[in-house]
Amino acid sequence: MGEVELSCLAYVKMYLHACLFPRCSVNGLLLSSSPAGGAVCVTDCVPLLHTHLPLAPITQLALTQVDVWCAQTQQRIVGYYQANACVSDSSPTPCALKIADKIAEQCNNAVLLMIDGGKMSPDYRVPPIVMYERKDTRWTLKDKHTIMLRQWEETRDIASQLLDSGDHSLLVDFDSHLDDITRDWTNQKLNAKIAELASPANDNLGVCQLGNPVLR
Amino acid sequence: MSKNVLIIVFTEMRDKLRKWREDNHRNSEQIVDVGEELINEHASKLGDDIWIIYEQVMIAALDCSRDDLAWTCLQELKRQFPGSQRVKRLAGMRLEALEKYEDASKQYDSILQDDPTNTAARKRKISILKAQGKSAEAIRELNEYLEQFVGDQEAWHELSELYINEHDYGKAAFCLEELMMTNPHNHLYCEQYAEVKYTQGGLENLELSRKYFAQALKLNNRNMRALFGLYMSASHIAASPKVNATVKKANVKYATWATNQINRAYQVSYARCLL
Repeated sequence: MGEVELSCLAYVKMYLHACLFPRCSVNGLLLSSSPAGGAVCVTDCVPLLHTHLPLAPITQLALTQVDVWCAQTQQRIVGYYQANACVSDSSPTPCALKIADKIAEQCNNAVLLMIDGGKMSPDYRVPPIVMYERKDTRWTLKDKHTIMLRQWEETRDIASQLLDSGDHSLLVDFDSHLDDITRDWTNQKLNAKIAELASPANDNLGVCQLGNPVLR
Repeated sequence: MSKNVLIIVFTEMRDKLRKWREDNHRNSEQIVDVGEELINEHASKLGDDIWIIYEQVMIAALDCSRDDLAWTCLQELKRQFPGSQRVKRLAGMRLEALEKYEDASKQYDSILQDDPTNTAARKRKISILKAQGKSAEAIRELNEYLEQFVGDQEAWHELSELYINEHDYGKAAFCLEELMMTNPHNHLYCEQYAEVKYTQGGLENLELSRKYFAQALKLNNRNMRALFGLYMSASHIAASPKVNATVKKANVKYATWATNQINRAYQVSYARCLL
């Protein structure tokens, strides 16, 4: 199937979400502000839960609210991510497959992304992620050569910087929003901080294809 | 800094640690921050409190991969309380943190040989199974444990979480029922039970879920999950072709009430943000 590009913003927030709740499984939705057709560009993500991932009500609620927000902001839900509490097992759980199936109903090249907790160290050379795509009715591993992260080292450094400075606690997931509804699950503040740290885009350097990491 | 200010700082730190201990907070990074300074700079002023602080800081240090600090605390405790089962358990926890699960298990087994009723050691063994991803075995052991120690709330809650992760909602509901019986004023158990029932699906379960979301709200009218849950369960019931007109009307009323409450809550929160 097609290429998938993962933006710095999406990666950093997913990574920080997993770091914020190291003892829990966490999940979230992958969004795109690009039009449908061609490569899938994941430009943002919404962190959802860190408790009771398999239970239905809050998941349904979150999906509905994110849907509405996407319609208002010209974005689409193009995928789902999850990081398992047990770092030794990064395979998709039944609830991950279920939610990804639901997303695939509306978006036919949806992706399922699992964060590999066992590979999340600050100096890891390759992004600690595993992606799946839907072939027929099953989710199969995506060819690493079709997954791209621009400015991977810069992205990785931004994530580390935010973690070191404790700014990862700025991240609000849907669960945290329900605990205190004054907190913003669209994470405008954190988005601004990440944009501040990211240097101007340079298309030719540091592009990382998961299959062939390019070192600057 | 004057001596008085130093004393204030010291008592504040000690009190913070005590509060976190009493509330069973797992804010390990903060505990390590405060506790390490307290131990290094103010050990002499702590009196007998120091031992429980060593224990608290040690566990927090394990949580933060600070084996150096954990080791220091453990040595102090071993020196002061040689042969103590409680300290043995802490040594076991350190082995767990280092993923030396077999050695940790042996440690707990030796505690249980001397004292078969040691609940802490039994629960640590179950935690090892959980850490290794052996959910089925963890569930089995936890069930056996609960047959003996039927009043252990923490264990019932842990079991409900394990069942939820295995998608065994019926059994998760049973655990939550036990918890609601012994903690009738806890809105969180009601709300979790309602979520499980909702997930199980079907008209009967939806009606039960609505009732328990409502109960959670009665106990705490600011529980947003319960409010949303009430709205969603009532809406689904009202939309079901299997209900008669009266039931439909009642559920539409509940859903509308919930919507109004939700809107009000968000309006109040926006107002607070603007202040």
